[in-house]
Amino acid sequence: MFETLRGTPTDGDDGRSSLGLLLLSGVIAAIVTSPLLWLFLRASEVASPERAISLLFSARTAEILINSIGLMAAVTILSVALGVPLAVVTTGTDLPYDRFWTVVAALPLVIPSYIGAFAFVRTFGSGGEVSAALGVPLPAVEGFWGAVVVITLYTYPYVFLSTRAALLSLDMELVEAARSLNVTRIAAYRRVVFPQIRPAIAAGALLVALYAVSDFGTPAFMRVSVFTYEIYVESGSFNVEYAALLSMQLLAVTAVILLIEARVGRDTGSSGGGRTARLRLGRWKWVAMAAIGSIGVVTLVVPVAIFGVWALRGPEGGVPSLAFEWSFALNSVFLATMAAAVACLLAIPVAYHSARSDSRLSRLFERATYVGFAVPGVVIGLALVFFGSNYAPWAYRTVPLLVFAYLVRFLPQVVGTTRSAVLQVDDRLVEAARTLNAGRTETFRKVTLPLILPGIVAGGVLVFLTTMKELPATLMLQPSGVDTLVTIVWAAHETLYYQYAAVPALILVVVSALSMVVLLRQESGLG
Amino acid sequence: MRDNSRRPLASFTNRRSFLGAVGASGTIALAGCAGFGGGGGEDPFDDYGPQEAAVEPSAVSWDDLGELTGELTIYSGRTRDQIDPLFDAIEDRYDDFTIDSDFDDNSTQLNKINEETADTRPDIFYTQSSGALAALKQDDLVRTLPEDIIDAVDDNYSDPDGTWTGASGRVRAIQYNTELWEGTADDLPDDIFAYADDERFEGIISTRPNSGTFRSFIVAMIEMEGEQATREWIRGMVENQDVTLYSSGSQQAEEVNAGNQTVGLGNQYYAGRILENDPDAPIDVAFTENDPGCLFNVSGVGILADADKPNLAAEFTRHVLAAEGQAFFVETNGEYPVLDGVDYVGDLPTLSEINPPEFDLNTLANVEQAVDLLRDEGMTV
Repeated sequence: MFETLRGTPTDGDDGRSSLGLLLLSGVIAAIVTSPLLWLFLRASEVASPERAISLLFSARTAEILINSIGLMAAVTILSVALGVPLAVVTTGTDLPYDRFWTVVAALPLVIPSYIGAFAFVRTFGSGGEVSAALGVPLPAVEGFWGAVVVITLYTYPYVFLSTRAALLSLDMELVEAARSLNVTRIAAYRRVVFPQIRPAIAAGALLVALYAVSDFGTPAFMRVSVFTYEIYVESGSFNVEYAALLSMQLLAVTAVILLIEARVGRDTGSSGGGRTARLRLGRWKWVAMAAIGSIGVVTLVVPVAIFGVWALRGPEGGVPSLAFEWSFALNSVFLATMAAAVACLLAIPVAYHSARSDSRLSRLFERATYVGFAVPGVVIGLALVFFGSNYAPWAYRTVPLLVFAYLVRFLPQVVGTTRSAVLQVDDRLVEAARTLNAGRTETFRKVTLPLILPGIVAGGVLVFLTTMKELPATLMLQPSGVDTLVTIVWAAHETLYYQYAAVPALILVVVSALSMVVLLRQESGLG
Repeated sequence: MRDNSRRPLASFTNRRSFLGAVGASGTIALAGCAGFGGGGGEDPFDDYGPQEAAVEPSAVSWDDLGELTGELTIYSGRTRDQIDPLFDAIEDRYDDFTIDSDFDDNSTQLNKINEETADTRPDIFYTQSSGALAALKQDDLVRTLPEDIIDAVDDNYSDPDGTWTGASGRVRAIQYNTELWEGTADDLPDDIFAYADDERFEGIISTRPNSGTFRSFIVAMIEMEGEQATREWIRGMVENQDVTLYSSGSQQAEEVNAGNQTVGLGNQYYAGRILENDPDAPIDVAFTENDPGCLFNVSGVGILADADKPNLAAEFTRHVLAAEGQAFFVETNGEYPVLDGVDYVGDLPTLSEINPPEFDLNTLANVEQAVDLLRDEGMTV
């Protein structure tokens, strides 16, 4: 399933530095997956093997497995169905105001899905805010399909963004060439464009799939039994050992997803060029704008409006410690920036080597960094409480350990974008630099790095965004007295003091939206 | 009443160093300023017993207690609105006393303490569920409280072995929408078992099975009525009544208030909070009679066996159990006091009027049977 060796290092210098890079990737992969050892440790302490077996192999477990896989599959398919066409429309057509629509289509990613789910439940349904305002009952968003809709709407931007990046670097003259051979436009896309952007779609879909399987808030809110729910039930009943065991079941599912993606997302060796031709949309542009506009209204305007309603509600005073302070926003931005910066540094060797070397080991290390993304945050958090307390008590409840938790969870986002960027670097450029007697390091610094920088920054922004909205590990490992936007939103929302949730939630969305603009400028090459 | 223990990681006034810190080297610099580990400093007191006055059932005043100083680390499973104002009031009273408070879900705090070591455990665990304290007791993670504290609190509201004490009380209740419920509060059954088979509740009743107090309620039902009766109650709720299940207590109460649900089984507190915001809200509570449906549970305090400052923790606990601390729970949270000498004042019936069942709260630690029963019968979200 992995590519066979494309070439072996020819001289000793390259061989050594390649080995060094491989070792470095291995160390990084080992470090970010090490917290999962805790799962094995706790799972081995299960008191009653009979109960463990009945938990793992009961009819209900089968139902949970089916629900989890169904949820993941449905969300992934719908995200591709939504994200890919939107990427095509915003990059390859004459859509008016394409920048604006690109931002709108990407922005749902910045809304934490638990806020999205809450907004949906409060908005739709017979007693919701919208039906109260309109005076007509609206269908409730709930159950399995409710969860599918909400998770899809807030995660499809992963597919949208990765596909968009691939399309931007695609040579559209290929489409024209195909067209000149009397092939229909759709057939040209299917046979020429699709194979080239397939790895990017798969990379985005992988993040969607792993997110869907690790999300707890939305399925719980929509009342769907999935793996994460069972894990929470057990860890919430003072039965961490069983929670660990169930998490390992989740890991097995994750491993299968990673294998599938490694197959589908195999690099086809495409490399970029300029774009020329653009599809003419004609009257379809209205349809396209209406579609993106509706998504924007549902995913962005509705939650923001809900924040506005919150701000007006509730008693005066109440809980002074929840009153807004700018330090919440600064702490959030600071932590997210730290996490993004360190993630970029760690991702470069892993992504670079796995894209360049073709060794199975290197690909394995790259895949390993994804595992943490699929494990519920509460599990990662507890694992780090254990390792932190036992082996680094001096770092416990400090920023470095919290940032490390973010790395364990979110590193794959920047590994993925960086790897795609490295794959798109034209080998001939690197070879040319080498013939001009540039050393390996110098070539990387002067040729490769500038070319892959947009990919790294794009991944860094994704890490920034997800860190901004991360809740469970933040709550567990937050340093003493350090509150962030999400911890305040959580505390206020949980206690029905909604008015305290409004300002931090709005600032969370605004700051995240600004970072999204940075990401899109990078991708458009306007940096 | 600004929380003076809160601090920003970086500030605008120091923008240059903030930006400069955004790099690998910043991690180390930051670790330095964030301080290593918790607590800090020595226990200011030498004695575990009272520093000045001992606490009594008739409630002493804060004026009679020893002056708190230094920093105390408290993990709280209770939400900030229910406990932060008390922390603030005690901090404001003493110039040199700060609380390093950590808030999270109750069960997460418990799991955290289990994963931690003597180096990192807090001084005090404050929780809304005695089940969590009983679980800590089973693992020998809490220490026996001083004599005066054990003696001051009503035996029904604390651990018979003295390893934890209740701080305030709350009761399971029947929340109902006053506009949708056809009848008066008196028409609501006073027997929890009626709610699982009375046809009037079919399709209009809800609960929240993933909450700690709901599990406590099921544990109590198993304990008092037996596993079979409990299984039938759960089955009746699921099959006969088609009970609506929520994963959030606030969501459930809001749905009752919004008219999407007529009846909800939950804590009296949620409805109280909505009424506090809007006295005309169409939500009210009723109670069952001497059965698990009106289980009395306590929020409580345990001093960790590994506490760095057990003596300071003990004197702090005396503040919680003094008149001012108890008054806070009654006035701010609408809860019940745990000292005989403090009266409940509020809109809800007093405890003697509600008549909750007598129950050893330590039993609430054993939730596994309850969780398995709920799973078997499909009462899961």
